Amino acid sequence: MILMEYITVSIRYNLPIFLLVFALLYPAMAQAEYGDVLMNNYSDDAGMRPVVFPHWFHRIRFRCKVCHADLGFKFEAGGNEINMLKIIDGEYCGACHNGEVAWSVESCDICHSGKPGTPTQVHHSTTSKLFTRTNNKQKGGK
Amino acid sequence: MKAYHLILTILFVLTISSAFAETEIRSGKDIYDMACAGCHATGVLEAPKLGSKTDWDKREKQGFEVLMIHALKGFKNMPAKGGNPTIKDQEIENAIKYQLAQSGFDQYKEKSGSTENNKPAPAKKTADTRPKIIPEAIPETKNIAKIKQPKKTRTHSVNRFNRLMKPAAEWNLSPAKDGIHDPENEGTLLLQPPKQAFESLSNAKSGNRVDWVKSLQNKEISPRYDRLSDDSKPVVMDLNIVREVKGSMPDVVYPHKQHTEWLDCSNCHPAIFIPQKGANQISMASILLGQQCGVCHGKVAFPVSECRKCHSQKKALKTGNGK
Repeated sequence: MILMEYITVSIRYNLPIFLLVFALLYPAMAQAEYGDVLMNNYSDDAGMRPVVFPHWFHRIRFRCKVCHADLGFKFEAGGNEINMLKIIDGEYCGACHNGEVAWSVESCDICHSGKPGTPTQVHHSTTSKLFTRTNNKQKGGK
Repeated sequence: MKAYHLILTILFVLTISSAFAETEIRSGKDIYDMACAGCHATGVLEAPKLGSKTDWDKREKQGFEVLMIHALKGFKNMPAKGGNPTIKDQEIENAIKYQLAQSGFDQYKEKSGSTENNKPAPAKKTADTRPKIIPEAIPETKNIAKIKQPKKTRTHSVNRFNRLMKPAAEWNLSPAKDGIHDPENEGTLLLQPPKQAFESLSNAKSGNRVDWVKSLQNKEISPRYDRLSDDSKPVVMDLNIVREVKGSMPDVVYPHKQHTEWLDCSNCHPAIFIPQKGANQISMASILLGQQCGVCHGKVAFPVSECRKCHSQKKALKTGNGK
């Protein structure tokens, strides 16, 4: 009983250390640009490639406020539950990707360009290094 | 007596052969290591990279003679003979053949074929008995070679300075090579390579290798503050918040100015930070876990490895006995 308590307590206090050690030992798999967001909420199931959102490309052209305040994008990869219906209705990506500000939804391939089977994540983020083990193993190499 | 003669003969032969070695034609690999690897190992300055068939393909198609002329006389960023005029023409030829052979063009392989006899043909008399190291086996299927390209440098260079640090050759890879885009997807090839976009921007040591704040300050970029209008200006608030840190690190200075250039107040207040002095408990642990500053820093804004960008104000010295 005491032993169990000891184990739970030690896990509780050492968890951050475990995570940090794990993060350091586990080299980042993916190589995409820092900040790129991969979204795979529905793509895999729908037989589409997951979406790669290049943050860098957009921040050259727009300040964070435009998407994250005006368009209502939450600061969370995959947290906005974006689907094509919303985009076509002019929400989220569709606010610009409508053929007026930027190219329209007909160019599926340009967004849906990720490797199939890659989980939703922000590339090179500290949190994804800590928590998400990319399942690139099957495709991209070791 | 016989033994004495034998030793003399051996010594004589050795001296002769080593004297010959001076004027010997060196192997392609030796020349490559000496004069070419500086650029061709990593592919800087648009040099075709060793082992990359895609890089070498268009060069090879021009014909070997063209490659020879470029290497001998210099071409674009490449100096004549790799900047070393003492290299002989024959040796340059060997070096080109070596690089082609290593990049998947089997027709340029040494005729002896098998990997054991990888000695260069004309250099047989040299006293060089060191085993020739072949940097990496070339996968047989051409497509696999293409896809795995960025990985190869990572796994094979055992003696890299820090294996967790990305070498310059792996910064800002083009979409088809970055490991996250599907190289078989046509749209991938339409995407702009980040390196091209970052050329004119201020550099940083981490993240995208772009100092976004500086780039904005220097007007290297002019991102819109409004979805449709170029004229809308941000509401900038110039207020520094100093947060005293408990540990030995310098205190944190939080500049509202740089943040409001990019963001709206509502992005951070009140959901992430309560706009009231002393109301927010912030720790590196929570930032690492993606909360508070970590909502952006460590994901898209400069990463947490840049300690001193935030911890930037030296602490007032405190002494134990109240001096």
